[in-house]
Amino acid sequence: MGLLVGGTWVPPGALLYALLHPHAHGVVAIILWQLRLPRVAVAALVGAALAIAGALLQGLLRNPLVDPYLTGTSAGAAAAIALAVALGLAAPLYPAIGFVAGLATAFLVAALARRGSGLDANRLILAGISISALFSALVALVLARTHTADEAEAILAWLAGSMAGRGWHDLAMALPYTIVGTALAFAAAPAMNALRIGELRAHAVGVNVARTQWVVLAAASLLTASAVALAGIIGFLGLIVPHLARRVVGADVRTVVVASALLGVALCTLADAVSRTIVAPSELPIGVLLAFVGVPTFLVLYLRSKERRT
Amino acid sequence: MIRARNLTLDIGSRRLLEDVSFQIERASFTAVLGPNGVGKTTLLRTIAGLRVADHGTLLVDEAPLRELDARLRARRIAFVAADEEPSDGLSVREVVATARYAFHRWWEWYETQEDCTAIDDALAIVAMNGYADRRFATLSSGERQRVWLALALAQEAPILLLDEPTSHLDVRVAHQILDLLRSLARAGKTIVCALHDLNDAAAYADRLLLLGCGRLLADDTPEHVLAGSWLEAAYGIGMETVRTPSGQTFVFPRLRAPR
Repeated sequence: MGLLVGGTWVPPGALLYALLHPHAHGVVAIILWQLRLPRVAVAALVGAALAIAGALLQGLLRNPLVDPYLTGTSAGAAAAIALAVALGLAAPLYPAIGFVAGLATAFLVAALARRGSGLDANRLILAGISISALFSALVALVLARTHTADEAEAILAWLAGSMAGRGWHDLAMALPYTIVGTALAFAAAPAMNALRIGELRAHAVGVNVARTQWVVLAAASLLTASAVALAGIIGFLGLIVPHLARRVVGADVRTVVVASALLGVALCTLADAVSRTIVAPSELPIGVLLAFVGVPTFLVLYLRSKERRT
Repeated sequence: MIRARNLTLDIGSRRLLEDVSFQIERASFTAVLGPNGVGKTTLLRTIAGLRVADHGTLLVDEAPLRELDARLRARRIAFVAADEEPSDGLSVREVVATARYAFHRWWEWYETQEDCTAIDDALAIVAMNGYADRRFATLSSGERQRVWLALALAQEAPILLLDEPTSHLDVRVAHQILDLLRSLARAGKTIVCALHDLNDAAAYADRLLLLGCGRLLADDTPEHVLAGSWLEAAYGIGMETVRTPSGQTFVFPRLRAPR
């Protein structure tokens, strides 16, 4: 669907032909290979990364209200990009700046949450919220001091989340980190499964709890930083998708990670397609769209399941 | 066999265990006794490898415990903790299946025939095989304790450590659990269990380890430990010991002002 919709109507047959003939010339080939396909790929990558990161952190902290931005990744990236905009740095540098700053913030939060050789869940939440608040204040300060509307617009567009203008180059930058983060997630999934019975009991059945915590945090931070670098801040997706995945496949962390990735891809590519067309020729920020449609849907699902339980 | 030599463990600036040495034989039931906060849980967690002693050595079948990696350790020692709830929504079988973690590498996500047999057998031993699909959160305290015991049994470890497995249980369920532990010891398991009830300990254990003031005050058979003055030293109150015609020993706190 993501390939079919866009600013210009292209018949499905022509798109299929261009898809099967990558070296063909013409407008349709350019639209497909230079605009729509990289954008769909970016949406898929972002959706999978945020959904897996959400599933990991919710499992690690045994808290279903946690989202991937808890570790301060988005706030750190937002502050760095706001500063980059204010300093007049070139726009193509923003993804890399966001990625590095997001990851650095996650490291800072992890360092503050360290207890012994492992992590303290409460400290992690507290440090994440505190550092995020600090960087959000920095973003507000930069926004208040911006001199031109263009600067403010660049920062706000990034804060609202968008995949406009992303291409193969951006995807190539984020893909290796997403692959490493996903591999770490799969490696940690069996231990995460054991952690569902509690840290002490998991330790007793052979889980190296401290190592698992660091691996999960590293995986979630890499995935979130990659997604933030590519698309800015897309809230809600990393919170809701693991919930939906658990409703579909049950509580096993291993299958929840796989299902979250698939649902994240589906939801993000669909939302991106809608965001490109619903107010065409301009675009609705995908973060805004997801919040408007997703939050009520999620609340209805949640209240229905609660009614069934009582 | 578990052999501890001169174990010393500090928590913050407080010395919890000092110079504790003992030896626990295979296929035996040992009860760890002592007042609240004396270090029973800490001692069990140290034997389980979940804490590291500041000084001293712990040998399991003559191998130093600290040299075993987490998975190998879990295949030798199972530990039933006193509290900690699992995540909401887990079934009884899912909880018990966690015991098989140590038997798999991270990429082996499937359940083997050995896993299924170990899980089913463990649930059958604790008489919970009819509850496999029930949500853990819906179980009573006694049923939960049985599930935690099944989790430890599914680890197939020869050594089973339990931290107050009968607390919060009614007298019937408590005795069913202790009876089960004793029969497991007779079948070859090494059972080490922290208990609060001195009479339960005397009735079921082969050996008592009595902790007091951070030290091991007594390490002997129930008859000897309960007959001596160690209990008074450990708990700081007077004790009366009664021996029934059938040979059972009971201990009661001596009332300051009898009714």
